[in-house]
Amino acid sequence: MTRKMHLLATAAALSLLSGLAQAEVTVLGWPGGPEETALRAVTEVYNAQPDLAEENKVELLFTSRDGFFDKLQVDLAAGSTAFDVNLIATYSIGRYAPYMEPITLSDQAGAVFGDTVLKTMQFDGQQYGVPTDLSLHFLYFRLDLTDALMADDAAKARYAEISQQHLGKAMEPKAPADWTWEDFVANALYFSQSVNPDSPTRYGTVIQAKNLLFNMMVFHSWPRSYGGNWMDDAGTITVDSEAFRTALSQVKMLFDLGATPPDSTSYEYAEANAAYAAGQVAAMVQWNAAAGELTAAQAATGTTAPPAGPDGKFTHIHGLGLGLNKAAENKEGAIAFLQWLSTEEAALAYAKAGGAPGLAAETAAKLATDRPDLVQVGEYASTYGFVMNGGTSEKALSVYEAQAKEFTGYWAGTQDLDTALKNAATAMADLLK
Amino acid sequence: MTNRRENAILAAPLVLFLLAILGFPTVLALVYGVSDTSFQTLTSPEFSGLANFRQVLADPTFWQAAWFSLRFGAITAVLQCALGLALAVYLAPLVRLHGWTVAILIIPMIVAPAMMGLMYRLVLHEFAGPLPHYLYQWLGWSPAFLSPAHVFKTVVVAETLQWTPFAFLLFLTAYQSIPEDLREAAAVDGTRPWRRFWTIELPLMLPTVWVALFIRFIDGFRVFDNIYTLVGAGPGGSTTSMSIYIYETFLRRGEIGKAMAAAILLFVTAFLALALAQRLTRKAAR
Repeated sequence: MTRKMHLLATAAALSLLSGLAQAEVTVLGWPGGPEETALRAVTEVYNAQPDLAEENKVELLFTSRDGFFDKLQVDLAAGSTAFDVNLIATYSIGRYAPYMEPITLSDQAGAVFGDTVLKTMQFDGQQYGVPTDLSLHFLYFRLDLTDALMADDAAKARYAEISQQHLGKAMEPKAPADWTWEDFVANALYFSQSVNPDSPTRYGTVIQAKNLLFNMMVFHSWPRSYGGNWMDDAGTITVDSEAFRTALSQVKMLFDLGATPPDSTSYEYAEANAAYAAGQVAAMVQWNAAAGELTAAQAATGTTAPPAGPDGKFTHIHGLGLGLNKAAENKEGAIAFLQWLSTEEAALAYAKAGGAPGLAAETAAKLATDRPDLVQVGEYASTYGFVMNGGTSEKALSVYEAQAKEFTGYWAGTQDLDTALKNAATAMADLLK
Repeated sequence: MTNRRENAILAAPLVLFLLAILGFPTVLALVYGVSDTSFQTLTSPEFSGLANFRQVLADPTFWQAAWFSLRFGAITAVLQCALGLALAVYLAPLVRLHGWTVAILIIPMIVAPAMMGLMYRLVLHEFAGPLPHYLYQWLGWSPAFLSPAHVFKTVVVAETLQWTPFAFLLFLTAYQSIPEDLREAAAVDGTRPWRRFWTIELPLMLPTVWVALFIRFIDGFRVFDNIYTLVGAGPGGSTTSMSIYIYETFLRRGEIGKAMAAAILLFVTAFLALALAQRLTRKAAR
């Protein structure tokens, strides 16, 4: 009996040791959607390398998207060793940096991604992640509606009348690629039945205005094109500016005149897309990720960069990426995987599998047939992309939250513009000090 | 072995379980509530006295959340109890004959509140939801259920529809436990049903009414899941309940001490409400 017990104990100890020897690199990825599919695909490519040691093979871990970043915050703060590599986003790098380690990318990284995209994964001058997916905004519009408008003199006259009444000047319809934000507003009013009962769509646009940080990112392209920023180079908060006032007031006008659904104060990505897909919205600014869905629902959909302001066209950009957990148990294996992930081979495989990496023009050109949309994303990112001053700081997420609360309150009519801007500036001064 | 010792041994597992499940988090909340704590300093909180409580009490968003929770808790509790009572009295004869009808009536209670929020988010969407779709088709118009003008009414109705069955169950039990001979005696004396309800049945059910009102108020006051999944914190924080305030302060803003201070204040409020309800229940029973 005693001998049997000894044998059992030895077997158990051996199996435990062999388990340790086979420890893999665990990667916590962004669950669901094309990001998961693409990560699975590149992981297969990586694991198939003949010279890769068994203990450095990559294993993927996915949780739910709901509250993902909150759960990640708790896991990292608790020093979790459940994963070696974890997802990060531009706006959360500063928040997670204390629990992560900076990394060195492959020599090819600069040429593959370009400096603008690599910066989306930097904090305090150090590289914290490999950029895997790039998000920015497109202006989506109904080509059939804008073409019909520009070809009809009576419609043009009505357009001029509406813009004169609400914007103080008679405007002419233009091609969406040439729009300023005033053109965007005039077009939205013309295509809203509350303003123009003959409009073929119920609403001219849809503003996703739920009190949610991601919706502020969509909005920011607007004040940025008027010269707005979170703070100046000296660190002074500049949100209470003419640029933000103009942009906020123009959005408020759209709400007041019924040019966006009244309950769009509860809309986020999915609801706004559903409104456009239903054929009841003429144009909207939305994430590039929606291109497939919106084009499939409305075949006559065109895409271009968001409208221009006096300072030109701008689009918020942020990246999703993968970085190194400070408490990782297999750091060596994790670093090797991250370096490989920043090579051209990995970036191309990731893109072909459905991911949306922000690629430099030369690299994107190699995908012109498979992924033409990535050429547009890369071009817009390098030409119009911006990150607000302080947009990667430790409290960046909280700044977005504070603005979401105050600005949506103004749009919903629960507070005036001065109060919203004053509260936002006070909160930001506290968060970005 | 004495009875006292036996009781202690039998109660020990439950007490230990409660200490582990409730005691530890409570102590931790108290420590963090009087400390300057962030995610970086979770294991080394710095004592800051009552600073967090002062911050919470000076925060307009906290009072906005408290007012929302108070209104929401009171209105939904009254609505659910009124509807539950009416349903219990009206349907009691049917339930006596067909007990299985109760199972149908309590279906909404079985759905997880977070799922209920997601379901309404779909059902009430102007372009994807069946309700606005048919209203547009039949009337050419539909209210924007989740617009700032209607969102409070919408979340009140959603909560009422889900939890009225709970009040109904309590009242049905109380109504069925009233001795039948009391009703028969009243009938023999020629008392009309309406008068019988007001003078005999309702007074006998009053302790249950207080308990139901209290439970539903507390549940409404600490509401989180369904509102959070349906509309979030609301434009300008207009649908921020106390629980949503605590969640956002803790996880979104990383102000752990302040969130714990707000949680302690919420606990104290609930405790005081419980004491008051118990007193009222005892008074009603006498």
